[in-house]
Amino acid sequence: MNYRFIVRPNLCTGCRSCELACSFTHSIDNIRGLTRIYPLDGGFKDLWVPVTCLQCEDPACVKSCLVDALRLNPNTGAVELNQDICVHCMACVAACPFGCSIFDEQHDMIVKCDLCGGDPACAHFCPTKALEWKPIEVKKKKVAI
Amino acid sequence: MYLDNPQQLIDWHDKIIAKQKKIKKKILVCCGPGCLANGAQDIIERFKTVLKEKKISGFTVDALKETGCHGFCEQGPLVVIEPKGLYYTKVKVKDVEDIIEQSIKNDKTIDRLLYNDPQTDKKIEKYQDINFYSHQKKIVLNNLGNINQCNIEDYIANDGYQALSKALTSMSPQRVIDTVTKSGLRGRGGAGFPTGRKWATCRNVESDVHYVICNGDEGDPGAFMDRALMEGDPFSVLEGMTIAAFAVGAKQGYIYVREEYPLAVVNLQKAIEIAHENGLLGDNILGTDFSFNIKISRGAGAFVCGESSALMKSVAGEVGEPRAKYIRSVIKGLYDKPTVLNNVETFANVPIIIRKGASWYNKIGTPKNSGTKAFSLVGKVRNTGLIEVAMGTTLREIIYDIGGGIIDGRPFKAVQTGGPSGGCLPASKLDLPVDFDSLKEAGSMMGSGGMIVMDDRTCMVDVAKYFLGFLVNESCGKCVPCREGLYQLHALTVKVSEGKAEEADLEKMEKLSEMVIIGSLCGLGKSGPNPLLSTIKYFRDEYMAHIRDKRCPAGVCRALITYKITDACTGCMACIAPCPTHAITGKKNERHVLDQKLCTKCGACFAVCRYDAILVS
Amino acid sequence: MVNLTINGRIVQAKEGEMLLTVLRREKIDVPALCHHDAVEPFGACRLCTVEITKEDWNGHSNYVTSCLYPVEEGLIVSTHSPKVNELRKTILDLFLARHPNSPEVRQLAADYGVLKTSYETVVDGNNCILCGICTRICDAMGFHAISTVGRGHGKEVAPPLHQVPPDCVGCLACAKNCPTHYIEYIFDNNYLTIWDKKFELMTCSRCGKKTITKEFAEYLSKNRDIPISYFEICDECHRKELAATMGQITSWEREA
Repeated sequence: MNYRFIVRPNLCTGCRSCELACSFTHSIDNIRGLTRIYPLDGGFKDLWVPVTCLQCEDPACVKSCLVDALRLNPNTGAVELNQDICVHCMACVAACPFGCSIFDEQHDMIVKCDLCGGDPACAHFCPTKALEWKPIEVKKKKVAI
Repeated sequence: MYLDNPQQLIDWHDKIIAKQKKIKKKILVCCGPGCLANGAQDIIERFKTVLKEKKISGFTVDALKETGCHGFCEQGPLVVIEPKGLYYTKVKVKDVEDIIEQSIKNDKTIDRLLYNDPQTDKKIEKYQDINFYSHQKKIVLNNLGNINQCNIEDYIANDGYQALSKALTSMSPQRVIDTVTKSGLRGRGGAGFPTGRKWATCRNVESDVHYVICNGDEGDPGAFMDRALMEGDPFSVLEGMTIAAFAVGAKQGYIYVREEYPLAVVNLQKAIEIAHENGLLGDNILGTDFSFNIKISRGAGAFVCGESSALMKSVAGEVGEPRAKYIRSVIKGLYDKPTVLNNVETFANVPIIIRKGASWYNKIGTPKNSGTKAFSLVGKVRNTGLIEVAMGTTLREIIYDIGGGIIDGRPFKAVQTGGPSGGCLPASKLDLPVDFDSLKEAGSMMGSGGMIVMDDRTCMVDVAKYFLGFLVNESCGKCVPCREGLYQLHALTVKVSEGKAEEADLEKMEKLSEMVIIGSLCGLGKSGPNPLLSTIKYFRDEYMAHIRDKRCPAGVCRALITYKITDACTGCMACIAPCPTHAITGKKNERHVLDQKLCTKCGACFAVCRYDAILVS
Repeated sequence: MVNLTINGRIVQAKEGEMLLTVLRREKIDVPALCHHDAVEPFGACRLCTVEITKEDWNGHSNYVTSCLYPVEEGLIVSTHSPKVNELRKTILDLFLARHPNSPEVRQLAADYGVLKTSYETVVDGNNCILCGICTRICDAMGFHAISTVGRGHGKEVAPPLHQVPPDCVGCLACAKNCPTHYIEYIFDNNYLTIWDKKFELMTCSRCGKKTITKEFAEYLSKNRDIPISYFEICDECHRKELAATMGQITSWEREA
């Protein structure tokens, strides 16, 4: 892949534009989806951390899925949840150590960040570049701080 | 004796023939299913006891043979004395000493035990002269009734295993397939698929493993052809399977036997062990590098497991539910490996075809339907039993020439063929040739060989109701059209038989039937409505009588009939005790009275009355 | 790639793909009640039946369930032909006779114009349509806790011997995927009850929120190589924890 998703909590103002963007991008039938990104209190003054899926190399969510609904998309580098296969057992929600597999009650389904299929809306709308979808030459995928 | 090479088989055959020539007389006691039920085992024991006591010169107990089904079940228990061909019928234990004294020690015939031809009222000595037999053509059932079931020497004496030897030593697998293809053999289980083509397709699938399975589930009510073959001539089935395995490249085979045939399991198992002992099964058969093993897999009482994909799941230890066969089981069958599944009778035909050649077989029967077919002829015919005729023989010949016509001379009404998948054909269709194709056009099918003859006392609505009820019970329940559709069709026939139906219900049944046929997953559902549709087609008036007139012309449907005692009643009191609800009262020599309110129409009084004083209307 | 015609339109598909997959991709709506992508197609409801023919079939048609039929070159498919529509109506009609109280069945039947059953209502009809989704998913997940039991009209979904299923871990996949919501389960304080089996729920050690059952968590931990500690904290608290951790690291960066 040619891009990586970079998160810089140092630059995050907690404006929550990413949350809005994510929610609207994932609307279904004109009902907003649950956000997959959460700017949360970093524990220090003026410190916010946009928490979102780390697209782990050894994902606990993939291991926890007994029907193989979670798979790595090699083009985007994201671990994607196939809604047609998902059986709603909540194993991934319980297993993810970062809480990034979440239950969207309004749509009655489990959701996680899929990097919007290769053009993450949150990075697009982030005013401070705390979130960036950066092209890289090296074939390595990592979330940098 | 363990056969290391084909020549040893020939030598053994010659030795057995020489040994058998020394036997002056043979007693063959039929131990087919019908005769066994009638006490054949006791007759055998009595023969053994008496023969041991009597010590007749030139005759040993070895010449007494338990055989498989001789065919004329109506006349059993049967005893045949060879080489004369003397045919004793309805033999009882107390007749044994007489038979030994008169026909074995001496050369006399016991007239009272002979078959009496009802048309000429003459006794017939030899079974070959009896109409029931003379109109048959015994090929696949040839050994039945002539050999001891699990005696391999008897089997070899009748040219057994020569076909296998020929195939293994002088034919290639492809040539075996070509021979079977040229013979025109079609699956005898009912579908009639060309056997050679099936084997060829399976062989061409690239796989490390191929399987051969014999379908011995025979679930059709009234059918016992496969049973007779498995019990009475098990080696023919084994030989057929082994030849198939050689042709297809299989090393492992299974015989799936329905749970209700324990004797077939015993005899097949015995035959397998004996074949192993003699180098005719297992590793390096007849000293060649071809190895094949056969295991018996038992059913558990499910008709649906006769369906090929359900059968394979059952063999694999899973629930016997069929699957869609868009990917056929010759390509992906047992354990997803290419599998040849054939019926018992199909396999039993194979050694004969290899031995006598494809052209010989092709000449029998009709152009697209070569060979013969075994039938279990049952119902209201005089001569019920197991028969075999050339394909193309008409229904009329089977029912009248072989079957001897309807019992008590009553009028013929219909003949049901093909079990729950088949249909009923009326008198106007009696001249149809029996084969895979002709009956289908008329709305029935030949099926696996069950043939049930009906007279005017059979209600066709009741017949449809019976078969639908059977299928509702046996449906696996996986798909909606069969599970719910047949259930509702059955409920509708119940309605008709109770006089509660309307004319619109008839059309409803026809439409639902069509949907069940196109929507069902497997053959059980797809052919389930056939008995109903064929009876509606040919006996629509009878349905209308039930619907419009609330009347059952045949006098069967309980809700629509009444039992009455007529003037013919002599007051003999024979019917009073059998009545389960004590509905009949009356003193001796006085005309009895039947209380309609208590009558359940069970028919017990009708069966018992010797004066025809019970009227069913 | 193969070319086939669906409702008069030429469509391309991968060889060996199931027809239903292609239909769905082409946004052609064909009901398929017993279908679930987590498990192999089953062919039980027959609602996805379509009419197929080929040019060299001389006008002869076949009716196959699209969920199980692999596409072929030159296949001509009709998804809503008169006979197919009639079949679907008949199946839904039969469903209504057996499951008159199921809102899902009534709705689907109404969509196809069947408002009332034309058959005898089955007396003991419950809402289980015997689609087999629950049992197949349970098998796919590796638990094999329930299965279809019995044959024909008396078939039902049940645990072994109709007793409390020893292999059930309370994952609720069966109940959540049942098309008619027939399988019942009860959440009650710390416990979940399903198939008459009572399960204790994992409780978040931070906030007390209940997540999955202890048995399910232990199964996943043991068999899928996931530390059991992961299951002791809920997703919300996990996110807060991640924020705190990253926040701490960032604060060091700021100091530096």
